[in-house]
Amino acid sequence: MREKVVEKTFEALFALEDLRELLRKTAPFDLTKEQIEEAKKILAKVRKTLDEIGGELK
Amino acid sequence: MAQTVGGLEVRAKEELFINLEPLQRGGIMPAETRKAALSYIDGYSTCDYCVGTLHLIRKPPIADFLEEVAGFLGMDFAILTNGCREAKFAVMHAITKPGDAIVMDANRHYTSYVAAERAGLAIYEVESTGHPYFQIKPEGYASAIEKVKAETGRLPSLVLLTHVDWIYGNLVDAEKVGKICEEYNVPFLLNTAYSSGRMPINGRNLKADFVTCSGHKSWAAGAGTVGILAIGKDLTEKVIRSSKEYKVKPIEILGCSARGSSTIALMASFPFVKERVKHWGEEVKKARWFSAQMEALGDIEQLGDSPHNHDLIRFETPAFDRIAQKHRRRGYFLYEELLERKIAGVKAGKTKAFDLSTYQLTNEQLKYIIDSFKDIIEKYS
Repeated sequence: MREKVVEKTFEALFALEDLRELLRKTAPFDLTKEQIEEAKKILAKVRKTLDEIGGELK
Repeated sequence: MAQTVGGLEVRAKEELFINLEPLQRGGIMPAETRKAALSYIDGYSTCDYCVGTLHLIRKPPIADFLEEVAGFLGMDFAILTNGCREAKFAVMHAITKPGDAIVMDANRHYTSYVAAERAGLAIYEVESTGHPYFQIKPEGYASAIEKVKAETGRLPSLVLLTHVDWIYGNLVDAEKVGKICEEYNVPFLLNTAYSSGRMPINGRNLKADFVTCSGHKSWAAGAGTVGILAIGKDLTEKVIRSSKEYKVKPIEILGCSARGSSTIALMASFPFVKERVKHWGEEVKKARWFSAQMEALGDIEQLGDSPHNHDLIRFETPAFDRIAQKHRRRGYFLYEELLERKIAGVKAGKTKAFDLSTYQLTNEQLKYIIDSFKDIIEKYS
C-alpha cells in the first residue's frame, strides 16, 4: 500500500508541476480556451490520482 | 504574494510575472527538471550509491553525464563544481602560484577578480573600448601579455576571457583570444557563465584549455547552485590531481562539489539545454528586435555590441530618468509601474540605465513589454 501511495503522491505532484509550467509559460496573460482545456486535463489527472490515493487509504 | 510556507513568502515570480532579470532567465527550470529536483531535494540525495567521489557516481548516472557534457562542450574532461566561480578558482589554484600574473578582461565578473585575488595573483586587465560599445578587442590580450612580460620578465600563468559579460552582454571572439594564447603558450580559461547552455560552445575550436560554466545561470539548473569545469586533455591531470591520503578525492574541488538536487537539476535539464542551444539564432534575432523597439521609443540607447549578439541587453534610458526627477517615488517609479503591469526583473530604483534579458520569452511577451514601456512614457509625458 505504501509504495502505491508514494508513487501516486509523486504522480499528483508532478501533474501539478505541469499546471505550474502552463502558468509560467503564459504569464502574465489570461489563459486562452486551449490553455484552459489543457489545465482542465491536468486537473482531471490530479483528481484521478488523488482518488487512487484515497482508495488505497480506505 | 501573501501566501507563505515555512514562514517564507511563496515565490511565484515566474507564474505571475514576466521576469526580465538577466541573472535568472537562463536558470529557469522546465517542468521535468523541477519534478526531478523535487524528488532529490534532501541533502546528499545524489550519494545513495556513493563510490567515493561525486563525479564517478553511476547511479544516478553522474559519471556518464559528465562524459557527455565534456563532448557537448568540445572538451576532454568535465567535473562538477559548486558554481562557475569555484571552477575558475580551482584552475587558478591548480596551475598558478602566488605572485604569478593573470590577464583578464575589464568586463570580467567580480568573481574572476576575487578568485584571482584569493589565489594571490597579480591581475592585468584588458581594457574595453569604453562608452557606448564597451567591447573587449582580442588584440588587447596580446598587448596585455606583452606588458606582463615587460614588467615581470615572465609570461602570465593564465589568461581569462569572459565570453559574454554580465553588464553589456557583449560576445567576444574567443577563438582570436585562444589563438593569441596558443602563440604565447599561455593556458586559456574561457568563462562561459552567460554563453554555454544558451548558445553552442566548442572549447576545442575556440582553443580553450578550460571552459567554466554556470548551471544556475545558463543551464536551466536551479535547486541550489552548480557549475561545470571542462578541461582539455593536456591540463586535466594537472588540475584534477587527487589527495595523497584520499586517493579518489580531487583536491581542487575538495573531493566532491554539488551533492544534491542542483546536480540532478543540471542532469535533468541537459536534454532541454542540448535542444535550446540549437535555437540560439532565434534568441539573437528576438534580442535585436527588442533592442530596436526600445530605441524607437525615443531617448533610449542600447549599450554594448551593436547589432547585439546576446539576450542580455543594457540600455541607457534618459527617457525614464527624466520622469524619475519629477516623480514623488523618484527612481522607484519605473519598477513599480512595471510591477503593476506584471513585469519584474528591472532593478528597483534604476532609471538612468538598466539591463534585462529577453531569453526564451515569446514574441507576444516581448511585444507586451515594449507596449508597457511605451505606455509608461506616454502616461508621464
